[in-house]
Amino acid sequence: MNFPMDEPLFQFFYWLVNTPGLGSVAIALLVGAAMTIFFLTLRWIVSAKNEGEEGLPFPPQH
Amino acid sequence: MQPILTAQDRENLVSPLFKFDRQFWMTIAVLSVITLPGLALYVRQLFLGLGVTDLNRPVFWGAYLVNFIFLIGISMAGTVISAVLHLLHIEWRRPITRIAESLTVFGLMTAGLQIIMDMGRPDRLLNTLIYGRLQAPLMWDIASLTLYLLTASFALYLQLLPDIAFMRDSTPDNAPTWRKKLYSTLSLGWRGNKEQWARLEKAITAVSVILIPIGVSLHTVTSWLFSTTVQPGWKSTILGPYFVVGAIYSGIGLLFIAVTFATQYNHHLKGYITDTFYKNLGWIFIVMSFVWFYFTLNETLVVTTEQETLEFPVMAAKLFGEFAPAFWGMNVLMVATTWILIALKLPNKARSNPLFKTTTGLVMTALAVVTFIALALNIPALHASLVKTVLLGAFIVFFILALLGLTGWFQAHLIPSTVIASAFVLFGMWLERWNILMPTLTHARIIPYTTYFPTVTEVALTISTFGILTLIFVVFYKFFPSISIWEVEAGRALEQKNGG
Repeated sequence: MNFPMDEPLFQFFYWLVNTPGLGSVAIALLVGAAMTIFFLTLRWIVSAKNEGEEGLPFPPQH
Repeated sequence: MQPILTAQDRENLVSPLFKFDRQFWMTIAVLSVITLPGLALYVRQLFLGLGVTDLNRPVFWGAYLVNFIFLIGISMAGTVISAVLHLLHIEWRRPITRIAESLTVFGLMTAGLQIIMDMGRPDRLLNTLIYGRLQAPLMWDIASLTLYLLTASFALYLQLLPDIAFMRDSTPDNAPTWRKKLYSTLSLGWRGNKEQWARLEKAITAVSVILIPIGVSLHTVTSWLFSTTVQPGWKSTILGPYFVVGAIYSGIGLLFIAVTFATQYNHHLKGYITDTFYKNLGWIFIVMSFVWFYFTLNETLVVTTEQETLEFPVMAAKLFGEFAPAFWGMNVLMVATTWILIALKLPNKARSNPLFKTTTGLVMTALAVVTFIALALNIPALHASLVKTVLLGAFIVFFILALLGLTGWFQAHLIPSTVIASAFVLFGMWLERWNILMPTLTHARIIPYTTYFPTVTEVALTISTFGILTLIFVVFYKFFPSISIWEVEAGRALEQKNGG
Protein backbone atom coordinates (compact mmCIF):
# COMPACT_ATOMS: atom_id res chain seq x y z
CA MET A 1 0.00 0.00 0.00
CA ASN A 2 1.26 3.46 -0.86
CA PHE A 3 0.92 5.36 2.39
CA PRO A 4 0.58 9.03 1.36
CA MET A 5 2.75 10.21 4.24
CA ASP A 6 5.77 8.83 2.38
CA GLU A 7 5.29 11.60 -0.16
CA PRO A 8 7.00 14.94 0.64
CA LEU A 9 3.90 16.82 -0.51
CA PHE A 10 1.73 15.06 2.08
CA GLN A 11 4.43 15.59 4.71
CA PHE A 12 4.20 19.28 3.92
CA PHE A 13 0.39 19.20 4.22
CA TYR A 14 0.73 17.39 7.54
CA TRP A 15 3.12 20.09 8.77
CA LEU A 16 0.80 22.79 7.44
CA VAL A 17 -2.33 21.66 9.28
CA ASN A 18 -0.64 20.43 12.46
CA THR A 19 1.79 23.20 13.34
CA PRO A 20 0.55 25.30 16.29
CA GLY A 21 0.17 28.95 15.39
CA LEU A 22 -0.27 28.45 11.66
CA GLY A 23 -4.03 28.74 12.08
CA SER A 24 -3.65 32.26 13.41
CA VAL A 25 -1.22 33.09 10.60
CA ALA A 26 -3.92 32.09 8.12
CA ILE A 27 -6.49 34.19 9.98
CA ALA A 28 -4.08 37.14 10.12
CA LEU A 29 -3.54 36.90 6.36
CA LEU A 30 -7.28 36.73 5.75
CA VAL A 31 -8.05 39.67 8.02
CA GLY A 32 -5.13 41.68 6.64
CA ALA A 33 -6.23 41.09 3.05
CA ALA A 34 -9.86 41.96 3.84
CA MET A 35 -8.90 45.15 5.70
CA THR A 36 -6.60 46.24 2.88
CA ILE A 37 -9.29 45.65 0.25
CA PHE A 38 -11.89 47.53 2.30
CA PHE A 39 -9.52 50.44 2.93
CA LEU A 40 -8.57 50.68 -0.75
CA THR A 41 -12.23 50.50 -1.80
CA LEU A 42 -13.16 53.34 0.53
CA ARG A 43 -10.25 55.42 -0.75
CA TRP A 44 -11.27 54.69 -4.33
CA ILE A 45 -14.84 55.81 -3.64
CA VAL A 46 -14.13 59.06 -1.82
CA SER A 47 -11.27 60.07 -4.10
CA ALA A 48 -13.58 60.26 -7.13
CA LYS A 49 -13.32 63.74 -8.61
CA ASN A 50 -16.08 65.21 -10.67
CA GLU A 51 -16.07 68.76 -11.89
CA GLY A 52 -19.83 68.79 -12.36
CA GLU A 53 -22.64 68.78 -9.86
CA GLU A 54 -21.91 67.89 -6.24
CA GLY A 55 -24.15 67.08 -3.29
CA LEU A 56 -26.39 64.72 -5.23
CA PRO A 57 -28.79 63.21 -2.65
CA PHE A 58 -28.98 59.79 -4.34
CA PRO A 59 -27.43 57.91 -7.29
CA PRO A 60 -28.10 59.99 -10.44
CA GLN A 61 -29.21 57.02 -12.59
CA HIS A 62 -32.36 56.79 -10.45
CA MET B 1 -31.16 66.96 -9.47
CA GLN B 2 -33.23 68.27 -6.58
CA PRO B 3 -33.46 66.49 -3.21
CA ILE B 4 -36.80 64.72 -2.77
CA LEU B 5 -36.53 64.82 1.00
CA THR B 6 -39.19 67.13 2.44
CA ALA B 7 -39.00 69.16 5.64
CA GLN B 8 -41.33 66.59 7.18
CA ASP B 9 -38.93 63.77 6.25
CA ARG B 10 -36.13 65.71 7.89
CA GLU B 11 -38.25 66.10 11.02
CA ASN B 12 -39.11 62.39 11.03
CA LEU B 13 -35.70 60.92 10.29
CA VAL B 14 -33.08 63.37 11.53
CA SER B 15 -34.58 65.37 14.41
CA PRO B 16 -35.15 62.36 16.74
CA LEU B 17 -31.41 61.62 16.59
CA PHE B 18 -30.66 64.84 18.44
CA LYS B 19 -33.38 64.54 21.08
CA PHE B 20 -32.28 62.65 24.16
CA ASP B 21 -35.77 62.58 25.56
CA ARG B 22 -37.35 60.73 28.47
CA GLN B 23 -38.33 57.79 26.26
CA PHE B 24 -34.69 57.20 25.33
CA TRP B 25 -33.41 57.33 28.91
CA MET B 26 -36.25 55.11 30.11
CA THR B 27 -35.37 52.53 27.45
CA ILE B 28 -31.72 52.66 28.47
CA ALA B 29 -32.69 52.29 32.14
CA VAL B 30 -34.95 49.27 31.48
CA LEU B 31 -32.32 47.57 29.33
CA SER B 32 -29.64 48.24 31.94
CA VAL B 33 -31.83 46.65 34.62
CA ILE B 34 -32.19 43.59 32.37
CA THR B 35 -28.47 43.47 31.59
CA LEU B 36 -26.75 44.27 34.88
CA PRO B 37 -27.65 41.19 37.01
CA GLY B 38 -26.10 38.93 34.39
CA LEU B 39 -22.95 41.03 34.23
CA ALA B 40 -22.67 40.94 38.03
CA LEU B 41 -23.00 37.16 37.95
CA TYR B 42 -20.36 37.02 35.21
CA VAL B 43 -17.90 38.80 37.51
CA ARG B 44 -18.73 36.16 40.11
CA GLN B 45 -18.13 33.43 37.53
CA LEU B 46 -14.81 35.05 36.67
CA PHE B 47 -13.65 34.75 40.28
CA LEU B 48 -15.18 31.39 41.17
CA GLY B 49 -14.73 29.66 37.82
CA LEU B 50 -17.12 27.65 35.65
CA GLY B 51 -18.17 25.67 38.72
CA VAL B 52 -20.97 28.20 39.17
CA THR B 53 -22.51 26.86 35.96
CA ASP B 54 -23.77 23.34 35.34
CA LEU B 55 -20.97 22.80 32.81
CA ASN B 56 -18.91 19.74 33.54
CA ARG B 57 -17.51 16.77 31.64
CA PRO B 58 -18.95 15.63 29.25
CA VAL B 59 -21.33 18.61 29.07
CA PHE B 60 -18.60 21.16 28.34
CA TRP B 61 -20.94 23.28 26.20
CA GLY B 62 -24.22 24.56 27.58
CA ALA B 63 -26.49 27.60 27.38
CA TYR B 64 -23.60 29.87 26.30
CA LEU B 65 -22.90 27.80 23.20
CA VAL B 66 -26.62 27.52 22.46
CA ASN B 67 -26.73 31.34 22.56
CA PHE B 68 -23.62 31.50 20.35
CA ILE B 69 -25.14 29.37 17.61
CA PHE B 70 -28.48 31.14 17.93
CA LEU B 71 -26.87 34.58 17.62
CA ILE B 72 -24.70 33.50 14.71
CA GLY B 73 -27.94 32.29 13.12
CA ILE B 74 -29.97 35.46 13.60
CA SER B 75 -27.04 37.51 12.35
CA MET B 76 -27.08 35.79 9.00
CA ALA B 77 -30.39 36.87 7.55
CA GLY B 78 -29.88 40.61 7.92
CA THR B 79 -27.00 41.11 5.56
CA VAL B 80 -27.68 38.13 3.34
CA ILE B 81 -31.34 39.11 2.81
CA SER B 82 -30.34 42.70 2.22
CA ALA B 83 -27.67 41.54 -0.28
CA VAL B 84 -30.06 39.24 -2.14
CA LEU B 85 -32.80 41.88 -2.31
CA HIS B 86 -30.25 44.45 -3.49
CA LEU B 87 -28.96 42.20 -6.25
CA LEU B 88 -32.52 41.44 -7.37
CA HIS B 89 -33.43 45.17 -7.32
CA ILE B 90 -36.40 44.56 -5.01
CA GLU B 91 -37.78 48.01 -4.27
CA TRP B 92 -39.49 47.34 -0.91
CA ARG B 93 -36.09 46.51 0.58
CA ARG B 94 -35.04 50.16 0.73
CA PRO B 95 -36.43 51.22 4.14
CA ILE B 96 -35.31 48.04 5.92
CA THR B 97 -31.79 47.66 4.51
CA ARG B 98 -30.10 49.59 7.31
CA ILE B 99 -31.77 47.71 10.16
CA ALA B 100 -31.16 44.36 8.44
CA GLU B 101 -27.44 45.01 7.97
CA SER B 102 -26.92 46.36 11.46
CA LEU B 103 -28.58 43.30 13.02
CA THR B 104 -25.86 41.16 11.45
CA VAL B 105 -23.07 43.23 12.97
CA PHE B 106 -24.68 43.46 16.42
CA GLY B 107 -25.61 39.76 16.40
CA LEU B 108 -22.05 38.74 15.60
CA MET B 109 -20.64 41.03 18.28
CA THR B 110 -22.85 39.50 20.96
CA ALA B 111 -22.15 36.00 19.61
CA GLY B 112 -18.43 36.64 20.16
CA LEU B 113 -19.17 37.51 23.79
CA GLN B 114 -20.60 34.02 24.33
CA ILE B 115 -17.24 32.44 23.62
CA ILE B 116 -15.61 34.60 26.29
CA MET B 117 -18.42 33.78 28.74
CA ASP B 118 -17.91 30.09 28.05
CA MET B 119 -14.23 30.25 28.99
CA GLY B 120 -13.29 29.54 32.57
CA ARG B 121 -10.04 31.44 31.95
CA PRO B 122 -10.75 34.20 29.42
CA ASP B 123 -7.21 35.47 30.03
CA ARG B 124 -6.13 32.47 27.97
CA LEU B 125 -8.18 33.55 24.96
CA LEU B 126 -5.06 34.45 23.01
CA ASN B 127 -3.81 30.87 23.38
CA THR B 128 -6.42 29.80 20.84
CA LEU B 129 -4.55 31.93 18.32
CA ILE B 130 -1.00 31.29 19.52
CA TYR B 131 -1.47 27.52 19.44
CA GLY B 132 -4.25 27.37 16.87
CA ARG B 133 -3.75 24.76 14.14
CA LEU B 134 -5.27 24.79 10.69
CA GLN B 135 -6.89 21.40 11.22
CA ALA B 136 -9.04 22.68 14.10
CA PRO B 137 -12.68 23.45 13.19
CA LEU B 138 -12.61 26.12 15.91
CA MET B 139 -9.97 27.97 13.87
CA TRP B 140 -12.17 27.74 10.78
CA ASP B 141 -15.00 29.21 12.81
CA ILE B 142 -12.84 32.08 14.09
CA ALA B 143 -11.70 32.78 10.53
CA SER B 144 -15.20 32.66 9.11
CA LEU B 145 -16.74 34.72 11.91
CA THR B 146 -14.03 37.39 11.71
CA LEU B 147 -14.34 37.66 7.95
CA TYR B 148 -18.12 37.86 8.10
CA LEU B 149 -18.05 40.48 10.86
CA LEU B 150 -15.54 42.61 8.93
CA THR B 151 -17.40 42.31 5.62
CA ALA B 152 -20.82 42.93 7.20
CA SER B 153 -19.44 45.99 9.05
CA PHE B 154 -17.95 47.23 5.78
CA ALA B 155 -21.28 46.71 3.98
CA LEU B 156 -23.08 48.62 6.74
CA TYR B 157 -20.53 51.44 6.56
CA LEU B 158 -20.76 51.70 2.76
CA GLN B 159 -24.52 51.91 3.04
CA LEU B 160 -24.23 54.53 5.78
CA LEU B 161 -21.63 56.74 4.11
CA PRO B 162 -23.96 59.11 2.18
CA ASP B 163 -26.25 59.37 5.22
CA ILE B 164 -23.32 60.20 7.51
CA ALA B 165 -22.41 63.02 5.10
CA PHE B 166 -26.06 64.09 5.16
CA MET B 167 -25.93 64.13 8.98
CA ARG B 168 -22.69 66.13 8.82
CA ASP B 169 -24.46 68.77 6.73
CA SER B 170 -27.70 68.66 8.75
CA THR B 171 -26.34 68.71 12.31
CA PRO B 172 -28.21 71.41 14.26
CA ASP B 173 -26.09 74.36 15.46
CA ASN B 174 -26.71 73.48 19.10
CA ALA B 175 -25.43 69.91 18.65
CA PRO B 176 -22.28 69.02 20.63
CA THR B 177 -18.99 69.63 18.84
CA TRP B 178 -17.84 66.03 19.26
CA ARG B 179 -20.88 64.87 17.40
CA LYS B 180 -20.18 67.22 14.50
CA LYS B 181 -16.60 65.94 14.46
CA LEU B 182 -17.83 62.34 14.53
CA TYR B 183 -19.97 62.80 11.39
CA SER B 184 -17.28 64.87 9.72
CA THR B 185 -14.61 62.20 10.31
CA LEU B 186 -16.80 59.23 9.41
CA SER B 187 -18.10 60.84 6.21
CA LEU B 188 -14.55 60.71 4.77
CA GLY B 189 -15.18 63.92 2.85
CA TRP B 190 -18.08 62.50 0.85
CA ARG B 191 -19.40 65.17 -1.54
CA GLY B 192 -21.98 63.11 -3.40
CA ASN B 193 -20.74 63.76 -6.91
CA LYS B 194 -21.78 61.59 -9.84
CA GLU B 195 -18.58 59.54 -9.91
CA GLN B 196 -18.65 58.90 -6.14
CA TRP B 197 -22.20 57.58 -6.40
CA ALA B 198 -21.27 55.36 -9.33
CA ARG B 199 -18.32 53.90 -7.44
CA LEU B 200 -20.34 53.48 -4.25
CA GLU B 201 -23.03 51.53 -6.08
CA LYS B 202 -20.42 49.29 -7.69
CA ALA B 203 -18.83 48.63 -4.30
CA ILE B 204 -22.19 47.87 -2.65
CA THR B 205 -23.03 45.40 -5.42
CA ALA B 206 -19.61 43.71 -5.14
CA VAL B 207 -19.89 43.41 -1.35
CA SER B 208 -23.43 42.01 -1.72
CA VAL B 209 -22.10 39.28 -3.99
CA ILE B 210 -19.25 38.46 -1.59
CA LEU B 211 -21.43 38.50 1.54
CA ILE B 212 -23.76 35.71 0.47
CA PRO B 213 -21.12 32.92 0.27
CA ILE B 214 -19.35 34.22 3.39
CA GLY B 215 -22.64 34.15 5.31
CA VAL B 216 -23.41 30.63 4.14
CA SER B 217 -19.85 29.53 4.97
CA LEU B 218 -20.07 30.89 8.53
CA HIS B 219 -23.17 28.87 9.35
CA THR B 220 -21.82 25.78 7.66
CA VAL B 221 -18.49 26.05 9.46
CA THR B 222 -20.31 26.50 12.80
CA SER B 223 -22.16 23.25 12.12
CA TRP B 224 -18.81 21.56 11.40
CA LEU B 225 -17.83 22.17 15.05
CA PHE B 226 -20.31 19.37 15.69
CA SER B 227 -20.53 17.28 12.54
CA THR B 228 -16.77 16.69 12.33
CA THR B 229 -16.90 14.82 15.65
CA VAL B 230 -17.96 11.20 16.11
CA GLN B 231 -20.66 12.05 18.63
CA PRO B 232 -24.13 10.54 18.06
CA GLY B 233 -26.62 13.09 16.77
CA TRP B 234 -23.89 15.34 15.39
CA LYS B 235 -22.09 13.32 12.72
CA SER B 236 -24.55 14.23 10.05
CA THR B 237 -24.02 15.54 6.54
CA ILE B 238 -27.24 17.53 6.69
CA LEU B 239 -26.19 19.69 9.65
CA GLY B 240 -24.50 22.39 7.48
CA PRO B 241 -27.52 23.22 5.30
CA TYR B 242 -29.82 22.70 8.31
CA PHE B 243 -27.91 25.43 10.17
CA VAL B 244 -28.08 27.76 7.16
CA VAL B 245 -31.85 27.26 6.77
CA GLY B 246 -32.40 27.79 10.50
CA ALA B 247 -30.25 30.90 10.37
CA ILE B 248 -32.24 32.53 7.58
CA TYR B 249 -35.51 31.49 9.21
CA SER B 250 -34.67 32.96 12.63
CA GLY B 251 -32.95 35.98 11.06
CA ILE B 252 -36.14 36.95 9.23
CA GLY B 253 -37.98 36.63 12.55
CA LEU B 254 -35.55 38.99 14.25
CA LEU B 255 -35.75 41.42 11.33
CA PHE B 256 -39.54 41.63 11.69
CA ILE B 257 -39.24 42.21 15.43
CA ALA B 258 -36.45 44.80 15.09
CA VAL B 259 -38.29 46.74 12.38
CA THR B 260 -41.51 46.73 14.43
CA PHE B 261 -39.58 47.80 17.54
CA ALA B 262 -38.01 50.67 15.55
CA THR B 263 -41.39 51.84 14.24
CA GLN B 264 -42.94 51.65 17.70
CA TYR B 265 -40.00 53.57 19.14
CA ASN B 266 -40.25 56.29 16.47
CA HIS B 267 -43.84 56.38 15.21
CA HIS B 268 -42.86 58.55 12.25
CA LEU B 269 -41.05 55.58 10.68
CA LYS B 270 -44.43 53.96 10.00
CA GLY B 271 -44.74 56.25 7.00
CA TYR B 272 -41.68 54.59 5.44
CA ILE B 273 -41.99 50.97 6.55
CA THR B 274 -45.38 49.99 5.23
CA ASP B 275 -47.44 46.78 5.21
CA THR B 276 -45.83 45.87 1.87
CA PHE B 277 -42.65 44.88 3.70
CA TYR B 278 -44.57 42.61 6.10
CA LYS B 279 -46.59 41.06 3.28
CA ASN B 280 -43.70 40.45 0.89
CA LEU B 281 -41.12 39.21 3.40
CA GLY B 282 -43.94 37.12 4.89
CA TRP B 283 -43.88 34.99 1.71
CA ILE B 284 -40.17 34.27 2.17
CA PHE B 285 -40.89 33.49 5.82
CA ILE B 286 -43.50 30.88 4.79
CA VAL B 287 -41.09 29.28 2.31
CA MET B 288 -38.37 29.11 4.97
CA SER B 289 -40.77 27.49 7.44
CA PHE B 290 -41.51 24.70 4.94
CA VAL B 291 -37.82 24.22 4.15
CA TRP B 292 -37.08 24.07 7.88
CA PHE B 293 -39.77 21.40 8.41
CA TYR B 294 -38.34 19.42 5.50
CA PHE B 295 -34.87 19.38 7.09
CA THR B 296 -36.22 18.59 10.56
CA LEU B 297 -38.23 15.68 9.16
CA ASN B 298 -35.13 14.40 7.33
CA GLU B 299 -33.00 14.54 10.46
CA THR B 300 -35.64 12.91 12.67
CA LEU B 301 -36.93 10.29 10.25
CA VAL B 302 -33.56 8.85 9.22
CA VAL B 303 -32.24 8.43 12.76
CA THR B 304 -35.54 7.08 14.06
CA THR B 305 -35.95 4.46 11.37
CA GLU B 306 -32.35 3.21 11.36
CA GLN B 307 -32.30 2.91 15.21
CA GLU B 308 -28.51 2.75 15.31
CA THR B 309 -27.17 1.77 18.79
CA LEU B 310 -25.45 5.05 19.60
CA GLU B 311 -27.63 7.44 17.60
CA PHE B 312 -31.06 6.29 18.69
CA PRO B 313 -30.78 7.04 22.46
CA VAL B 314 -30.08 10.67 21.54
CA MET B 315 -33.15 10.79 19.32
CA ALA B 316 -35.23 8.88 21.91
CA ALA B 317 -34.28 11.49 24.54
CA LYS B 318 -35.76 14.10 22.22
CA LEU B 319 -38.85 12.17 21.18
CA PHE B 320 -39.89 10.64 24.52
CA GLY B 321 -37.23 11.47 27.12
CA GLU B 322 -36.02 14.46 29.10
CA PHE B 323 -35.66 16.63 26.00
CA ALA B 324 -39.17 15.89 24.72
CA PRO B 325 -40.70 19.15 26.07
CA ALA B 326 -38.02 21.19 24.25
CA PHE B 327 -38.29 19.12 21.05
CA TRP B 328 -42.09 19.05 20.86
CA GLY B 329 -42.30 22.62 22.18
CA MET B 330 -40.13 23.68 19.24
CA ASN B 331 -42.35 21.81 16.77
CA VAL B 332 -45.56 23.19 18.26
CA LEU B 333 -44.21 26.74 18.00
CA MET B 334 -43.16 26.21 14.41
CA VAL B 335 -46.52 24.72 13.42
CA ALA B 336 -48.26 27.69 15.07
CA THR B 337 -45.92 30.08 13.20
CA THR B 338 -46.59 28.45 9.84
CA TRP B 339 -50.34 28.60 10.41
CA ILE B 340 -50.22 32.28 11.43
CA LEU B 341 -48.24 33.11 8.30
CA ILE B 342 -50.60 31.14 6.07
CA ALA B 343 -53.65 32.67 7.78
CA LEU B 344 -52.34 36.12 6.81
CA LYS B 345 -52.45 35.06 3.16
CA LEU B 346 -55.94 33.50 3.26
CA PRO B 347 -58.91 35.40 1.80
CA ASN B 348 -60.54 37.66 4.38
CA LYS B 349 -63.91 35.91 4.11
CA ALA B 350 -62.41 33.17 6.30
CA ARG B 351 -63.11 35.51 9.17
CA SER B 352 -66.86 35.02 8.84
CA ASN B 353 -66.53 31.27 9.50
CA PRO B 354 -68.06 30.43 12.93
CA LEU B 355 -64.99 28.34 13.72
CA PHE B 356 -62.82 31.45 13.62
CA LYS B 357 -63.97 33.16 16.81
CA THR B 358 -61.29 34.92 18.83
CA THR B 359 -62.87 34.01 22.19
CA THR B 360 -62.93 30.32 21.24
CA GLY B 361 -59.32 30.65 20.10
CA LEU B 362 -58.17 32.18 23.39
CA VAL B 363 -59.96 29.55 25.52
CA MET B 364 -58.52 26.76 23.39
CA THR B 365 -55.05 28.32 23.59
CA ALA B 366 -55.26 28.32 27.39
CA LEU B 367 -56.39 24.69 27.41
CA ALA B 368 -53.65 23.71 24.96
CA VAL B 369 -50.99 25.41 27.12
CA VAL B 370 -52.26 23.67 30.27
CA THR B 371 -52.31 20.21 28.65
CA PHE B 372 -48.85 20.77 27.13
CA ILE B 373 -47.44 21.76 30.53
CA ALA B 374 -49.10 18.72 32.13
CA LEU B 375 -47.46 16.49 29.51
CA ALA B 376 -44.10 18.26 29.79
CA LEU B 377 -43.94 18.14 33.59
CA ASN B 378 -44.25 14.36 33.49
CA ILE B 379 -46.39 14.27 36.65
CA PRO B 380 -46.33 10.73 38.20
CA ALA B 381 -50.13 10.73 38.63
CA LEU B 382 -50.43 11.01 34.85
CA HIS B 383 -48.01 8.18 34.10
CA ALA B 384 -50.73 5.66 33.12
CA SER B 385 -50.45 5.27 29.37
CA LEU B 386 -54.20 5.78 28.84
CA VAL B 387 -54.18 9.08 30.72
CA LYS B 388 -51.16 10.23 28.71
CA THR B 389 -52.83 9.25 25.44
CA VAL B 390 -56.00 11.11 26.38
CA LEU B 391 -53.96 14.19 27.34
CA LEU B 392 -52.02 14.04 24.09
CA GLY B 393 -55.22 13.71 22.06
CA ALA B 394 -56.80 16.58 24.01
CA PHE B 395 -53.73 18.76 23.38
CA ILE B 396 -53.86 18.13 19.63
CA VAL B 397 -57.58 19.00 19.49
CA PHE B 398 -57.15 22.15 21.65
CA PHE B 399 -54.14 23.24 19.60
CA ILE B 400 -55.95 22.91 16.25
CA LEU B 401 -59.06 24.68 17.58
CA ALA B 402 -56.88 27.43 19.06
CA LEU B 403 -55.20 28.12 15.73
CA LEU B 404 -58.51 28.02 13.86
CA GLY B 405 -60.21 30.22 16.45
CA LEU B 406 -57.53 32.89 16.28
CA THR B 407 -57.34 32.90 12.48
CA GLY B 408 -59.74 35.84 12.17
CA TRP B 409 -57.71 37.87 14.66
CA PHE B 410 -54.47 37.06 12.84
CA GLN B 411 -55.98 38.22 9.56
CA ALA B 412 -57.20 41.47 11.05
CA HIS B 413 -53.84 42.27 12.66
CA LEU B 414 -51.04 41.90 10.13
CA ILE B 415 -48.17 43.43 12.12
CA PRO B 416 -48.94 42.00 15.61
CA SER B 417 -49.51 38.56 14.07
CA THR B 418 -46.22 38.72 12.18
CA VAL B 419 -44.44 39.76 15.38
CA ILE B 420 -46.04 36.88 17.31
CA ALA B 421 -45.00 34.44 14.56
CA SER B 422 -41.48 35.91 14.63
CA ALA B 423 -41.24 35.57 18.41
CA PHE B 424 -42.35 31.93 18.10
CA VAL B 425 -39.68 31.34 15.48
CA LEU B 426 -36.96 32.95 17.62
CA PHE B 427 -37.90 30.93 20.69
CA GLY B 428 -38.38 27.79 18.61
CA MET B 429 -35.00 28.23 16.94
CA TRP B 430 -33.29 28.75 20.30
CA LEU B 431 -34.87 25.46 21.38
CA GLU B 432 -33.69 23.86 18.13
CA ARG B 433 -30.08 24.79 18.94
CA TRP B 434 -30.64 23.43 22.45
CA ASN B 435 -32.02 20.21 20.95
CA ILE B 436 -28.97 19.83 18.72
CA LEU B 437 -26.42 20.39 21.48
CA MET B 438 -27.69 19.10 24.77
CA PRO B 439 -29.11 15.63 23.97
CA THR B 440 -25.79 14.65 22.39
CA LEU B 441 -23.65 16.09 25.17
CA THR B 442 -25.69 14.30 27.83
CA HIS B 443 -25.72 11.08 25.77
CA ALA B 444 -22.14 11.08 24.55
CA ARG B 445 -20.62 7.88 23.18
CA ILE B 446 -18.69 5.46 25.42
CA ILE B 447 -19.00 7.45 28.68
CA PRO B 448 -22.05 7.22 31.03
CA TYR B 449 -25.06 9.41 30.31
CA THR B 450 -25.52 12.55 32.39
CA THR B 451 -27.83 15.56 32.79
CA TYR B 452 -27.53 19.31 32.36
CA PHE B 453 -29.69 22.22 33.39
CA PRO B 454 -28.57 25.87 33.18
CA THR B 455 -27.92 27.57 36.53
CA VAL B 456 -29.02 31.07 37.56
CA THR B 457 -25.69 32.43 36.23
CA GLU B 458 -26.26 30.97 32.78
CA VAL B 459 -29.90 32.08 32.64
CA ALA B 460 -29.01 35.62 33.80
CA LEU B 461 -26.18 35.89 31.28
CA THR B 462 -28.49 34.69 28.52
CA ILE B 463 -30.97 37.43 29.43
CA SER B 464 -28.07 39.93 29.63
CA THR B 465 -26.95 38.94 26.16
CA PHE B 466 -30.30 39.90 24.65
CA GLY B 467 -30.30 43.05 26.78
CA ILE B 468 -26.88 44.00 25.39
CA LEU B 469 -28.04 43.28 21.83
CA THR B 470 -31.04 45.59 22.25
CA LEU B 471 -28.93 48.21 24.02
CA ILE B 472 -26.44 48.36 21.13
CA PHE B 473 -29.37 48.63 18.71
CA VAL B 474 -30.99 51.52 20.61
CA VAL B 475 -27.74 53.46 21.13
CA PHE B 476 -26.56 52.99 17.52
CA TYR B 477 -29.81 54.35 16.15
CA LYS B 478 -29.54 57.40 18.39
CA PHE B 479 -26.54 58.40 16.30
CA PHE B 480 -27.41 57.12 12.83
CA PRO B 481 -30.72 57.09 10.94
CA SER B 482 -32.44 53.71 11.16
CA ILE B 483 -33.81 54.18 7.66
CA SER B 484 -31.46 54.70 4.77
CA ILE B 485 -32.31 58.25 3.74
CA TRP B 486 -30.62 58.09 0.35
CA GLU B 487 -32.23 54.74 -0.45
CA VAL B 488 -35.67 56.15 0.35
CA GLU B 489 -34.97 59.16 -1.87
CA ALA B 490 -33.73 56.93 -4.67
CA GLY B 491 -36.89 54.82 -4.36
CA ARG B 492 -39.09 57.91 -4.60
CA ALA B 493 -37.14 59.16 -7.60
CA LEU B 494 -37.69 55.82 -9.29
CA GLU B 495 -41.41 55.96 -8.48
CA GLN B 496 -41.67 59.45 -9.97
CA LYS B 497 -39.77 58.34 -13.05
CA ASN B 498 -42.11 55.41 -13.52
CA GLY B 499 -45.12 57.67 -12.97
CA GLY B 500 -45.92 56.11 -9.58
